Amino acid sequence: MSFKVKREPVRSSWYLPGILVGLGFTFKKMLQNLFNQKKMVTLNYPEEKYQYGPRFKGNHVLTVKKDGSLRCTACMLCATNCPADCIRITASEHEDPSVEKFPISYEIDILRCVFCGFCEEACPVDAIRMGPEWQTAALNGSEFTYDIRHLAYRPQLKGGVPSVLDDQERHSAGI
Amino acid sequence: MPKCTINGKEIEVPQGTTVIEAFKMLGDDICHYCWHPGLSVAGVCRLCMVHIEGMPKLQIACNTEVRDGMVVTNQTDDVKDTVKWGLDFHLINHPLDCPICDQAGECGLQDQYMKFGKYDPEMAEPKVKKHKVVDLGPTVVLDSERCILCSRCVRFTEEVTETNELGIFNRGDRAEIGTVQGRPLDNNYSLNTVDICPVGALTSKDFRFRQRVWYLKDSESICPGCSTGCNVKVYFNEEGLWRVKPRYNAEVNGHWMCDEGRNTYKYVNAAHRLKKVKAGQSGDWSQEEVFPETMKLGEKFRAAAEKNPESIAVLVTGQYTNEEFKNFFEFVADELKVKNIFHWINNPEKFDDFDGLLLRGDKNPNTYGLKEEMKSRGGFKSLEDLQGKMSQFEWVLVLGPENQSQFPDLKEKVDLLSQAKSVIWLSACETPELDALRAPTHQIPMKTYIEKEGSFTNFKGLVQEFKRGTTVIEDALTLQEVVALLRGHELDYRNRPQPIGGTKKNHFTNVRGQL
Ligand code: SF4
Ligand code: SF4
Ligand code: SF4
Ligand code: SF4
Ligand code: FES
Repeated sequence: MSFKVKREPVRSSWYLPGILVGLGFTFKKMLQNLFNQKKMVTLNYPEEKYQYGPRFKGNHVLTVKKDGSLRCTACMLCATNCPADCIRITASEHEDPSVEKFPISYEIDILRCVFCGFCEEACPVDAIRMGPEWQTAALNGSEFTYDIRHLAYRPQLKGGVPSVLDDQERHSAGI
Repeated sequence: MPKCTINGKEIEVPQGTTVIEAFKMLGDDICHYCWHPGLSVAGVCRLCMVHIEGMPKLQIACNTEVRDGMVVTNQTDDVKDTVKWGLDFHLINHPLDCPICDQAGECGLQDQYMKFGKYDPEMAEPKVKKHKVVDLGPTVVLDSERCILCSRCVRFTEEVTETNELGIFNRGDRAEIGTVQGRPLDNNYSLNTVDICPVGALTSKDFRFRQRVWYLKDSESICPGCSTGCNVKVYFNEEGLWRVKPRYNAEVNGHWMCDEGRNTYKYVNAAHRLKKVKAGQSGDWSQEEVFPETMKLGEKFRAAAEKNPESIAVLVTGQYTNEEFKNFFEFVADELKVKNIFHWINNPEKFDDFDGLLLRGDKNPNTYGLKEEMKSRGGFKSLEDLQGKMSQFEWVLVLGPENQSQFPDLKEKVDLLSQAKSVIWLSACETPELDALRAPTHQIPMKTYIEKEGSFTNFKGLVQEFKRGTTVIEDALTLQEVVALLRGHELDYRNRPQPIGGTKKNHFTNVRGQL
């Protein structure tokens, strides 16, 4: 048995009209963008930045109590739940017996993170949240490992990103 | 032998067996807290409820003896209901702080709730607050809120150690476990209370918050702490070893082990270990590759032995396995005809001590096996022969202890060996005491009990086998490997066990070498 390979004949070698149509479209859009900037679909990054919705899952935030100490109890549920295995916690004994356990180090390797949000869902005390920030540029590799100083106390958190939660009212109400 | 029917299955049990034991023999699930096979029956948790045909009310299985013809079940609705609400009752004041509780993951409450509970709590009152983080003694921390007052720990100090440190104070929902003022829980078996506590009320200071238990793997082994040879489980992950717990063996240790034995995981961790051959002498050490260096050493060693076997001395400790000893003496005593073999005993005055429970003065797991192996070879020479005659030996080979903390005369021996011409010291750990050796020395890194397989013979001659759990130091050698290298045999380094989580090398990496 033998097969015959059928080849479609090349219908046309007139490719030039196609290219011109494409170029025409590009020029049309360029002129539109130049004279009617409101309709432009792209942003002038980095001068302009897109504001995502409040539920956007961006860079992690470790929330703090009113006195500025971490809420995290170092239960390691987030690290257990993390599918990318990028959270590393070292727990220790707190001097205050009502706190008991707290993290002396908490690191997220943001380059491994897949921003799934499982960590924030696992946390029993709302200590980790995923904030609206999404720019993760850094100058060298080690800066992509976020430690407590970055996660809880970075300057960006001062304005905008809510990261202070306190349970005082809830506790006094007996919850 | 009475016969009874449990959940429709017939079983014949020895006279005096309780119903709960019959359940365990059958492998049927039964909810329980206060009953522990190694302790007396207290009957306080009321969770082991069973229905016995002919009895109007439910009975507790732990305190009911099996009678001939008994028909028992715990599958009826009223039993299930009773157990369920019994559990709710236990958890009325329980804080449920599982996230910060060290027991989470191996907690009796969590397990039993998932098996027998699964109710919505109906308690509306606020919980009674009790003491948290109570320091009970040098090893144990108590959280009274989590305690369910099963009294296992109290019975343990009463019946097993007979030290009576723990007691239950106050009444009703204010009842708490505690110690009498000025009498902390301080005995050599205190950490067993942590093991038997079904909840996270008693936690070990040594292990507290170091790891989550679900990150740990375990492996069965034999404690190398003393010649009793308690059966243990060692818990580890890729970062190292974290704790040791006892494993039931009726013939050796029952359910318990001593606190000293629980420390045997510490020296195994990489920070304490010798990683390469250390050659040199006090103050001037260099690191050499293990395989070639040991082979080079072997050539010189064999040459010296062939010239004159009397110029070689061997100092052995009972810290290696039977298989290793056999292999070693076949090489040294039979092949090289070395006669100067000395036994280094950790602590001659206290060697035959016994604390009445488990711990023995002989801090070597395999003294018995060592002596057996030497019997046919004429036994050991007396250690006194070594004093002052050190310089007549060309080579001194020391099978050093892996658990050096149990050898109080380590410094003395180092001083003695400093007079030798050259020393080969096999050691698992790197210590300043060893580094003080003033004679030309090669320290060869050895594997520890968790990294090799073999058997130990305990004080009464019971041979106990154990398997390899994990590998901490890849390049460390077993005694068999040392013997092979000293004999001049090549070792296949490709098939050696790799440390878990360490650099993963596959076959091709070894073939093409380092890129
Ligand atoms: S977002 Fe997902 S991948 Fe990233 S740290 Fe959290 S759990 Fe891990
Ligand atoms: S789950 Fe929450 S409390 Fe637990 S370790 Fe993670 S951030 Fe901390
Ligand atoms: S004892 Fe068990 S149920 Fe209670 S807090 Fe600890 S883990 Fe949770
Ligand atoms: S501390 Fe643990 S073992 Fe002791 S009574 Fe309480 S729950 Fe039982
Ligand atoms: S186990 Fe029977 S009453 Fe507790």
